[in-house]
Amino acid sequence: MSRDDSVKLISPKAVLERIATAIPEDCRQNIIIIGSLAAGYYFFGDNSKLQVRTKDVDCLLSPRIRAIPAGQAVADRLFAEDWKLRTEGAWGKPGDAMTPEDQLPVVRLHPPGSQDWFIELLTVPESETDLDQKYIRLKTTHGHFSLCSFGFLSLAEYQPIATPFGIAIARPGMMALANLLQHTRIGEQTMSGLIGSRKIKRSNKDLGRVLAIASLAEARQEDALLGWPAPWADALKARFPSIWRDLASRVGSGLRQLLRPENEADLEEARHTCEYGLLVSQAPSPRLLAATGKRLLQDAIEPLEQIGRTP
Amino acid sequence: MTSLRYECPIENFPGFRADAVSDDTVFEVLVEPKDARRLRTALMEMARVATVDHARRVLLVLEEPAITESRLREEWKGAASVIQPELWRRLSVVIRQSGKWTGIPVPPDSSDLSTLNEVLHHALSRKPASSGRSSEAHHEILRILVHQWLLGKGPLTISSLMEISGASHPTVSRSLERLAYCLTRHTDRSVELRIFPRDEWAKLLAVSDDVRNTVRFVDRSGQARSPESLLRRLQKLQRQDIAIGGIPGAKHYQPSLDLIGNPRLDLSIHSGRNAVDLSFVERLDPALEKATRRDESPTLVIHTIRRAESLFQPVDKDLPWADPVECLLDLHEARLESQALEFLNSFPATKGRPL
Repeated sequence: MSRDDSVKLISPKAVLERIATAIPEDCRQNIIIIGSLAAGYYFFGDNSKLQVRTKDVDCLLSPRIRAIPAGQAVADRLFAEDWKLRTEGAWGKPGDAMTPEDQLPVVRLHPPGSQDWFIELLTVPESETDLDQKYIRLKTTHGHFSLCSFGFLSLAEYQPIATPFGIAIARPGMMALANLLQHTRIGEQTMSGLIGSRKIKRSNKDLGRVLAIASLAEARQEDALLGWPAPWADALKARFPSIWRDLASRVGSGLRQLLRPENEADLEEARHTCEYGLLVSQAPSPRLLAATGKRLLQDAIEPLEQIGRTP
Repeated sequence: MTSLRYECPIENFPGFRADAVSDDTVFEVLVEPKDARRLRTALMEMARVATVDHARRVLLVLEEPAITESRLREEWKGAASVIQPELWRRLSVVIRQSGKWTGIPVPPDSSDLSTLNEVLHHALSRKPASSGRSSEAHHEILRILVHQWLLGKGPLTISSLMEISGASHPTVSRSLERLAYCLTRHTDRSVELRIFPRDEWAKLLAVSDDVRNTVRFVDRSGQARSPESLLRRLQKLQRQDIAIGGIPGAKHYQPSLDLIGNPRLDLSIHSGRNAVDLSFVERLDPALEKATRRDESPTLVIHTIRRAESLFQPVDKDLPWADPVECLLDLHEARLESQALEFLNSFPATKGRPL
C-alpha cells in the first residue's frame, strides 16, 4: 500500500470541533481553517455520511500581527495536551536559535492517539507584493518552528465564516480564487506524496480543488457561481489594491489551459485528486469536471475579468 | 479587432474566392458538410491556397458537420500524406458543433474565436435556407392558418399569407388547395379555417421534427441545470429572435392549463431563410450536448421557425413568447397529449366544439 492510501476518511465537523476544543479559547478567533476540511464543513458539515479524505488540516493564523503570539500559544497548548509532532519526512524535529528560518520545520501536529490527520499552522503574507513563500520564526516551548506564508492566502482570510466552535473557516469561493491565482499555468512541480497511488502535479491538484468547490457550490445552490465575481472583485481590491486588475485578468489562465483537449491528462489528474479528496463521497465524472470548469469560466471568471477591465 | 474581407480572390488561384481573408489567415467555410468527398476537395483547395499564398495560415471552418470526428481525422491524415509538410503546417480545420469549437490538429485558440464567429456568421447569413421545399412551405401555411384561427383573428388574404410565410403565390395557392376541405374562402379572396384541420395536423405531427428542425440537447455532466436556470441565462442574452414555448409558453396563453412542473425548456428560434446558429446554447450551459438518441430526456429543445414572420408575441424588455401553435406542437413533441388537447380546446375558436 502506498503512503497516501493510508489517508483516512474524516468527518469535517468532528475534526473541526476537536481542533477548536484543543485550542486556547482566546486564540480561536485567530484561527481560520482552510483547504478541503473547510470546504467539506461548509458543503456537508451537517451530513455525517459525507466525509473528506485529507491528512493535513491547514490552520491560518490571522491577522498577521497576531500570528506569532497566537501561533506560540496554540502550539504550546497542543504540545501540553500531548499532540505529537509529525515525524514523517525530513522535517520531524524542531530547530533551535541557530537554525536558519528556511530550515525550520512547520508546526505539524497529530492529535493524541491518532495518526489519521494533523494540523499545520500557516499565516497570511505581510503585503500584497509578498507572494513568494516566506518563513517566520516561531519560538515554542518545544523548540523553534516556522510559520509559512505564501501566495494568495490573504484571500482565504477574506471575510471568513464563523462556526459554532469559535474558529472560522475560509469561504470556499475565496479558496477557489486563491488557487486559481496560484496556478495561472499548469506547472511541472509535483506533490511530494502520492495521491491515490499516483504522482500528481501540484497545479492539477489545486485546480482540481477549484473544480470540486465549484461543483459542490452548484450542487448546493443552482447558479451559485453567478454570485462569486462581485465578492471576488471586492476581495482582490481589499487585499491587492494596486495590482487587482492585473490579477483579475489572469485569474482564468490556468483553468483554461487545464480544459484544453490536448491537456486531457492534466484534467484527469485533477479529477483523480477530487475523487481522492473533497469529492470522495461523490466521485465526479470527467464530463462533470470539464462542464464545471466551463461553467465557472462563464459565470465567475469572465465577469471578474470584465470587472477588471471596467474603468 | 481583426480586419476581415469577404469573398476574396486569391492571387494565382484563378476562379477561387476565399470566404474570408484577414491579414494572417485565409478562411474557407463549409456549412453542414455531409460527405467526405466534399471535405477532401476542400482540403485540397486549402492546400493549393497555401501553395500560392506563402504568408498566411489557411483555416477550413466546418459548421455542424454531419461527418463523425473520427472520419474527419481520417480525412485529415489522408490529406496530410499527399501534401508537403511545410504547406501542411499552415493548414488546420476548426469545427463548430452545437456552438462548441474543436479543431484538427488542435482546437482554435480562444483569442481567435471572435474572428471565427464573425466569419461563420457572415457565411451563414449568405446560405440559403434548406426549407424551400413545398411540403415545408405547406406546413408553414397550415400553421399560420391554425394560428389565425385559434386566436380568432379572422381571414387572411393570399398576399398576407405570402408575406407571413415567405412563400410564393403558386406555393400558397397549392397549399390552400390541399386545405380546401376545411377552408372558408371569402369574396375578397381571403381565407380562413372553418374547422380544425385534423388530418393535416396529424400529418404535420408525424414530420414535425423535420419541419421544425428540432434539436434536442441533453446534459452530459450529471449535474443538469434546470430549465429555469437556462431561461434566466437566455434572458441575459436579450435575443428577440428566440421565443419561449413549451409548457411556460402554453401556460402564458392559458394560465389555467393543467400543467405542473417544467422538465425541459422549449425554445423557438426564428432564422428565416438563414441557416440557424445554435452557438448561444453554450452560453446557457456548456454541459449541454446534442442528443444522439430520440429516447434521451432533453433539458433543452430548440425548434426553428423558417417563415418570414416569426409570429412571436413580443414582451417589453424580455424574451418573446412563441406563438400558441408552436407551443401546441411542443406539447405534442413532449408526449403531453392530453395537455395538448386541453390546450387546444381552451381557445375561443374551439369553444363548444371539442376536438
